Amino acid sequence: MRSYQSVLILKPDLDEAQVGESLEKITELVKNHGGDILKVDKWGKKRLAYKVKKNRFGYYLNIYHTCENESVPALEAKYKLYDAIIKFMVLRLDDKELERAMGNGEETEEGAVTDDAEVKKDESEKTEAKEPETVPAIDERGI
Amino acid sequence: MGTASTRKRSFFSQKICRFCADKADHIDFDDIKNLKPLISERGKIVPSRISGNCAKHQRQLTRAVKRARNIALLPFAVEV
Repeated sequence: MRSYQSVLILKPDLDEAQVGESLEKITELVKNHGGDILKVDKWGKKRLAYKVKKNRFGYYLNIYHTCENESVPALEAKYKLYDAIIKFMVLRLDDKELERAMGNGEETEEGAVTDDAEVKKDESEKTEAKEPETVPAIDERGI
Repeated sequence: MGTASTRKRSFFSQKICRFCADKADHIDFDDIKNLKPLISERGKIVPSRISGNCAKHQRQLTRAVKRARNIALLPFAVEV
């Protein structure tokens, strides 16, 4: 029995109750394939980097679960047939990755917030620094 | 040192692997904030010779970016 991480993108027009419903259905699917849910993260509604089945947004679910090795393709086929899921990715986790996922779920969230602010500062500084050099180059080409 | 190399270097000011500096042992595909600065405007992965990342972290980075692209967190290509 291996552990896996399933990242699922649900349709954006589902409300919270419907998300709960589909989560139950997904739990059932995993259990039918000899697996068990370890942890569920709701990343919430996010903007997609590109259109998926004509959707600009999607509701992200991140599920850590176990599954029988042979039945992963079958589980993926079931995901594909379930119409609330517009895109999914199943990753195999090794022991180290699983430990990390189980251990630092809360710590990373706090860390991420502070990192975000720092990164934004850095970016703005960098773009300011970059502009004076790139602008003349464009002018030369224009002339 | 030619002008081209100094211009490239101005964007990534120091040639230090930023993941080594953070003592990161693993790069997650879901923390987009850390991946975004290492993506070009067209959505390409910035080569390590420009970003200064070490080989080990660059390998982890490419894997993370490719996974993030697959699940629509990062674009495959940005149309200009």
